[in-house]
Amino acid sequence: MRIGQPEPKRGNPRLLVILVVLSLVMVTVYFREGDTGPLHTMRSATIEITAPIARFGTAITSPFRAAASWLEGLGASRERVAALEQQNEELRARLAELEEARQENDRLRELVDFAEGQELARLGANVIRRPVSIWEGVIVLDRGSDDGVQPGMPVIAAQGLVGQVAEVSPNACTVRLITDQQSGVAALVQSTRATGVVRGSVSGELTLDFIDRAMVPVEGDVILTSGLGGVYPAGIVVGDVTAVSDKRGDLYPDVTIESRVQVDRIEEVLVLVGFTTDVSAGEIE
Amino acid sequence: MKRWWATVGALVGALVLQVMLAPHMEIGNATPSLLLLVVITLSFVEGPSAGAIAGFAAGLLLDLLSTGPIGAWALVLSVTGYTAGMLQENLFAEGWLAPVTVAIIAGFLADFSYLLVVTVLGVGPAFWTSLVQAVLPRAVYNAVLVMLAYPWLARFLRADRSIKSFKRLA
Repeated sequence: MRIGQPEPKRGNPRLLVILVVLSLVMVTVYFREGDTGPLHTMRSATIEITAPIARFGTAITSPFRAAASWLEGLGASRERVAALEQQNEELRARLAELEEARQENDRLRELVDFAEGQELARLGANVIRRPVSIWEGVIVLDRGSDDGVQPGMPVIAAQGLVGQVAEVSPNACTVRLITDQQSGVAALVQSTRATGVVRGSVSGELTLDFIDRAMVPVEGDVILTSGLGGVYPAGIVVGDVTAVSDKRGDLYPDVTIESRVQVDRIEEVLVLVGFTTDVSAGEIE
Repeated sequence: MKRWWATVGALVGALVLQVMLAPHMEIGNATPSLLLLVVITLSFVEGPSAGAIAGFAAGLLLDLLSTGPIGAWALVLSVTGYTAGMLQENLFAEGWLAPVTVAIIAGFLADFSYLLVVTVLGVGPAFWTSLVQAVLPRAVYNAVLVMLAYPWLARFLRADRSIKSFKRLA
């Protein structure tokens, strides 16, 4: 001991064993109990209790984040850059939508039993907490079960898909981002219609797996949700292909995607409240 | 009793800062664990048993904040707190070297152990990628923060002692 006067401190191995056993019991109970079990309820209560703190934190750090963003683009007219960036994002999203609409139109003309797409109700929400740990891509929104939000609902932003509602408390909910390592999104390449699965990672990088080698996408291709599996509605922009590696020995090509949604800056999102699935359906096994 | 309240106050304060500020302190891909800072400091100044108890409480709070299995962080931080306390007791280092060494080892141990636990539970990410892209950067980030916060935190937690400098503290 090196603080002030020497003072011997012995470790108590029994105490450590008790704490370890207690932790393991909690892990076991967590996996065995249902969504309404005591541990899940405690977590839901924690989300609810910490929501105002997170909201306050987002508010007080807002000027600093704005300053950091301003410094990043120093040297150019901030107003003009912001306007052009916004316009660019809108145009890219619009372009993808139009291309999707054109292809969809072509396909639908050939179908006799054409049915109109389902109209989904959307609920606006503010992001009040960003990921607190490197181990998970989870954000918290200021909407909860009192607003009609349920686990499994998809969440989108103006730039594209954000994720899926994971847990809900009365006035807040957590959203598992598509960049989270546990996330999986059934997707397709817009130009070739090749289907695959977009997976997140601990670094937040997105990859498109299980793409047919006969239909390898190229850099710049737009990736959309395919709607397969029923977790996310079809036609939502997931991101753009930034790198493709197709080696001879690989079963599937390595396709890297960049999401258009900047999680560290996103402030408002939309929850598709008319679209509910099992929350575990959007997780990688 | 005062020391007990100081410990609870430090943990609650770290929880509030973890929710409020830590998400905005991201560097690269690493977000700091402010609760871990408190656990390591407590282990330094109070010893292994207090470190283990503080680790369990801080871990449980982290578990409730996250979406992973509840109990995983409690397990990891209990062991980390205990180990940090034991290291502090048995490390042959003087001055600033002792807390820095323990902080680096404990910071790495915490995230590496969590990676092991979630991997064993079958809900973990790719092991080697996570080790390089998550565990190492965060261990370094947390160690730097411990160095900065340790003298102040230690003074707060042990207000009954005269601690005048980092060197004396260490």
